Amino acid sequence: MTQEELVKIARRKELVVRWAARILGYVVVLGLWEWASGAVIEENLLPGPTRVIQTAVELFQDGAVFPAFGSTLNRIVVGVTLSFFIGAAVGILTQNRWFAGFFKDAITIGLTSPGLIWVLITALVFGNQWFAPLTTIILTTFALVSVNVAEGIGTLPKDTIDMARAFKVGVVRRNRHIVIPHLAPFLFTGIRFSFSIGWKVTVLTEVFTAGSGIGYEMRIAQILFRQDEVLTWILLFFVFALFLEKVVLQAIEDRFFRWRKEIAST
Amino acid sequence: MTDLAVQPSNQTSKVSAKGGAARKKQKPFVVRVLKSPTFARGLFLPAVLVFWLISNKMIEDSWDFDSSVLATPREVWDFMYAEISGDTVAPNNLYQTFGISLRRLGIGWVVSMIAGTAIGLGMGLSKAVNAFFHDWVMALLAMPALAWALFLSLILGFGDTGPVWAVVLAGIPFVIVNVREGVRSTPTDLFDMSTAFAVPRSKQIRHVLLPSLFPFLFAAARYALSIGWKGLVLIELFGGQDGAGWTFKFWYDAHRLHGVIGYSMFFVIFALVVENLILEPISRRVFKWRPRLDAPELVEEDIDTNLEKPNRPAPARSDVAGTI
Repeated sequence: MTQEELVKIARRKELVVRWAARILGYVVVLGLWEWASGAVIEENLLPGPTRVIQTAVELFQDGAVFPAFGSTLNRIVVGVTLSFFIGAAVGILTQNRWFAGFFKDAITIGLTSPGLIWVLITALVFGNQWFAPLTTIILTTFALVSVNVAEGIGTLPKDTIDMARAFKVGVVRRNRHIVIPHLAPFLFTGIRFSFSIGWKVTVLTEVFTAGSGIGYEMRIAQILFRQDEVLTWILLFFVFALFLEKVVLQAIEDRFFRWRKEIAST
Repeated sequence: MTDLAVQPSNQTSKVSAKGGAARKKQKPFVVRVLKSPTFARGLFLPAVLVFWLISNKMIEDSWDFDSSVLATPREVWDFMYAEISGDTVAPNNLYQTFGISLRRLGIGWVVSMIAGTAIGLGMGLSKAVNAFFHDWVMALLAMPALAWALFLSLILGFGDTGPVWAVVLAGIPFVIVNVREGVRSTPTDLFDMSTAFAVPRSKQIRHVLLPSLFPFLFAAARYALSIGWKGLVLIELFGGQDGAGWTFKFWYDAHRLHGVIGYSMFFVIFALVVENLILEPISRRVFKWRPRLDAPELVEEDIDTNLEKPNRPAPARSDVAGTI
């Protein structure tokens, strides 16, 4: 046997072990869960995986899922977009030293204060108005975008821009080929962070102030003591948000950075 | 590579900076103060207060319902002062409330550190163990605290068990992931060398494994504490009868905006005090011997994929952003 074949066999063996362990992990966790519901904790309090799937099917058949997802997604998209523009504007302003000083504390507060605070404050101030959730999303996520934009602008390749100037490249082409490609990774990072925080905050605000959406449905289910529905809504939305974050946003990002191999991988 | 190109531009910028300084000296003192970033920073708080008062006034003028739901800065200050001096309408005063929550946080944090370190060590040392837990840890990592709050409050009801579980579940994935990363980044050549020189096992662990693992463990402990606190507040809000989250909700339910804002301030002050007066000095003391490594990059995402993109532009700090 040659060296290469040995390596190949070892690699295959490792792959088999890894997949076996992975599958075992799924079996053990799901099995424990299914067993615990009923044996350890009453089934109504801890519905097992099969019960959750059943409830999910029922919710889909009721037609309750899509409207709720729709209104939540709507809020997330509008909120994250608004916070992107506000955050980017603040990030550009902080290039000026005076504004950097002015917004310093605002950005620190935006980065560190928990969303819950803003949720309850906007709930009391605005009540059930449509812009209450949006305000919360903006307040909790704008700083992430600002910090990233500021970081991107701060590291602009000065020598390349100087060279382009020296060779009399026009303003439009200079921005199109130097500034935007340089800023893009920072913008994407900002968007991804604000999305991953945005969806959690959105659901939380819906629990308190909205009359529709996933958070609202979760709250109703919790008040009615329907644990199976609470769990199903949580898991459905969890899977959906992760799909958006890890698959859709990632795909857009990869497509955008196909020309730049060192950034594009996952 | 760009040394030559950078040199001249540096000089020109120095020259222009000098020129700017010279010109600045001619400007009157007041203008210089007004233009300084420190002044701008100081201006932020008054600007917020003015904005607050003006918007209060505008809402009072334009809305025809009773505007007593709005709070003034004065009311918030009075509320905070009363709370700090122990005078409150809520069942427990400020110190008792935070004491109750801190006890829960402490228990949950210790549990999550011990269990998380054990699982993380296993995942770092064995590929099979890693494959076994990997997907579930990643799922836990992304789970919002709200999910635990609603779910656990229904199962466990009011009391201490639910909040403690919430702290554990919120914190443990971060401990696991960081410990795993710490084990993986242990220098194998040092291990090989100490084995070659027949250093006893206990000394190996003490002098090779622990020093390289410790920064990661410390970062994990810090993060688990802060994310656990947020999870705790949330579950106390939905399924509690005392504690900081419950008292926060108490003022919300009573429709006292000054209470809600005042309590928010307490949360922020509490976090700042813990961070700057307790954790920061400890961290500085513990890592005095290793000045450059005192802040290892905190791992928040799947590391397997992170390792493959060394050239990725460093994303701006997200470690403080564990919102909710």
